[in-house]
Amino acid sequence: MEEMLESNEMIIHLGPQHPMQPGPFRLNLRLKGETVMDAEVELGYIHKGIEKILENKTYLQGITIVDRICYLVALTNEECFVGCAEKLLGIEPPARSQYIRVILEELSRLQSHLLGLGEFGEFIGFVSMFMYTIKEREEIVGLIDMVTGARVTHSYLRFGGVRDDLPAGFKEKTLPVLNNLKKVISDYEEMFQSDRIYRERTAGVGILTADVAKSLGVSGPALRATGVPFDIRKNEPYLVYKDLDFKVCTETAGDCAARVQVRLNEMRESIYILEQCFDQIPNGPLFPEGTPYGRRTPVMRVPAGEVFHRVEDPRGEMGMYMISDGTDKPYRVKVRGPYFPTLQALPPLIIGTTVADVAAISGSMDGCTSEADR
Amino acid sequence: MDARTIIESLTGKFPEAISEAGIESPIRIQAYVDKDKAKEVCQYLKDSLQFDHLCSVCGVDYPQRNELEAVYHIASYDHAVVLTLKARLPRDSPEIESIVPVYWNANWYERETYELYGIVFKNHPNLKPLVLPEEMLGEWPLRKDYEGFPNKTARNLV
Amino acid sequence: MGEVKEKKTNYSTETPEEIPGVITTTTSAIHNFLKKTKAQDLINWGRKNSLWFMTQPMGCCGVEMIATGCAHYDTDRFGIIPRNSPRHADVMIISGYVTKKYLPALKRLWEQMPAPKWVLAMGDCSISGGPFYESYSTVQNIDEVFPIDVFIPGCPPRPEALIQGFVELQEKITAKKDRGTDY
Repeated sequence: MEEMLESNEMIIHLGPQHPMQPGPFRLNLRLKGETVMDAEVELGYIHKGIEKILENKTYLQGITIVDRICYLVALTNEECFVGCAEKLLGIEPPARSQYIRVILEELSRLQSHLLGLGEFGEFIGFVSMFMYTIKEREEIVGLIDMVTGARVTHSYLRFGGVRDDLPAGFKEKTLPVLNNLKKVISDYEEMFQSDRIYRERTAGVGILTADVAKSLGVSGPALRATGVPFDIRKNEPYLVYKDLDFKVCTETAGDCAARVQVRLNEMRESIYILEQCFDQIPNGPLFPEGTPYGRRTPVMRVPAGEVFHRVEDPRGEMGMYMISDGTDKPYRVKVRGPYFPTLQALPPLIIGTTVADVAAISGSMDGCTSEADR
Repeated sequence: MDARTIIESLTGKFPEAISEAGIESPIRIQAYVDKDKAKEVCQYLKDSLQFDHLCSVCGVDYPQRNELEAVYHIASYDHAVVLTLKARLPRDSPEIESIVPVYWNANWYERETYELYGIVFKNHPNLKPLVLPEEMLGEWPLRKDYEGFPNKTARNLV
Repeated sequence: MGEVKEKKTNYSTETPEEIPGVITTTTSAIHNFLKKTKAQDLINWGRKNSLWFMTQPMGCCGVEMIATGCAHYDTDRFGIIPRNSPRHADVMIISGYVTKKYLPALKRLWEQMPAPKWVLAMGDCSISGGPFYESYSTVQNIDEVFPIDVFIPGCPPRPEALIQGFVELQEKITAKKDRGTDY
């Protein structure tokens, strides 16, 4: 980048530690005045080699490692890993387990979107938003904590089921939180729509069109904000999502405001899914009957084969490619995180904008560097 | 667009380059591709079969067969079929044509595969390490014979 | 540079002018004197009640660190305030796995912080490597690089544990046993 520098240009490095970032990465910007002429992302500051570690852990141990790929959506990562092994083993969790998984994953989606909204607010200078959303997020994290016993990294899913049943009184505790959240989401929406500064910072900034988004390989809310209804829960239903009624939220503008709006609408859909789950959840066993799988199956051999399993993460399409050679450890696990391609699409989006908009665009992508680095 | 149509179209268009094509399930198909033809096959998939979304590019090491595999997962925004396209490469000089001109987002995936496995992607616009520091280049940490793992303090449990 | 040095030596060799009833001294002499007196207790009381920490989320613990500094757990009531710039911060929290690539940047952040400064190791990754102790890309034995005052175990520690860690640090500062202040 240095060699192309003209005399009236300068390079600034944002990061690795910068308030604009969801985790350490470095953004090198070549500026002419305030305009971004060129941008480059440097990754790897928290690359921990998860794929190599997974090859050396048994399947059960692997669950705790995949938790830490992205610490905001540990349950979705687990779902993807456990789903891969279940496909290879040829088992399917019983209905009650599937509903419990959907309940927890949707709660997880809610807390992730809330934190994403708050971070976005903070990046564009609206720090109070962060305090509002963290307050609501704590309620939801508390609910997840009640079931799994951990706030961030849960290790809750098991092959063929879940570790524990929902505690007594969980539904009664959850529904008031969801009702409150519905009101709060409307408040946020009103706040966003009535605030002129917010509109000016976000509307028409960082516009992504559907064709460009597809060619950049973006998925999740960033893609749905351009009008493409791509959602793994609909396109390739896993768990009981095919029995649940929900719609894929899309917007057409493709700018920062649209991405935030998609997240707000998705939170409403998540609440709707949760309400349906609480109505429909059947009683029954947590693990398939007549199989050796249970809470603790320490030595488990998975038949040789390979599988690519996709789930819908709050940030987009999460996929894992697992190869088994018939032993108790996976031969190879490739983690395809949703934020990796989204972060890759950041430089083409910010070229031509001003420095102040970089924070808005980067924030509206709702990142998680840990998952891009792995 | 269903799995059988895709496989037939692909083997019909590239009878020599595509081998061992198979259907795992209605939404998962896989095939081996000749390493010199990978780019043309990808171009055809994108232009004619609606495979416009590259999920990932990764490497797999098979030291017994003295082979590395470059694995492409190609999906679509329109239909649910995911194609697993593999290319066999010799372990001592793994080289394959870059598919960045076809799928723009292959850029980082190829850089990552290069630094972790040592697979060289020819004509890549910017083939340099992505997540590892420069001094670790050449160690290829994800290959099965990598010395630095497990650490001496680590104990294999099972 | 050389000129300044010369000036300094001239100054130190020069005997201070004697003024009747006035004692001449230097700042460092005052500091050294204060450290032995009750005044240092007063200074430490002030320092321990304004431990501003640098927000620098590195891993899973980073999320808990942010949650601790925000509305629900509200560490502001202890004077513990999240700051984005290292130049405003007193406490660095190592909140995750330190990789080979990140260690130089982390050292630089530490150098940018004004003294007195303290460092907390939050979570198993920074204490012993945690789940990633055998990874090819992480660095072990962080306590040999930074003078860590408090270790907070957990994977990740809950926000209450982080607050407890801060309380322990405050107690260390009161007892003048901390490694951050240069006694």
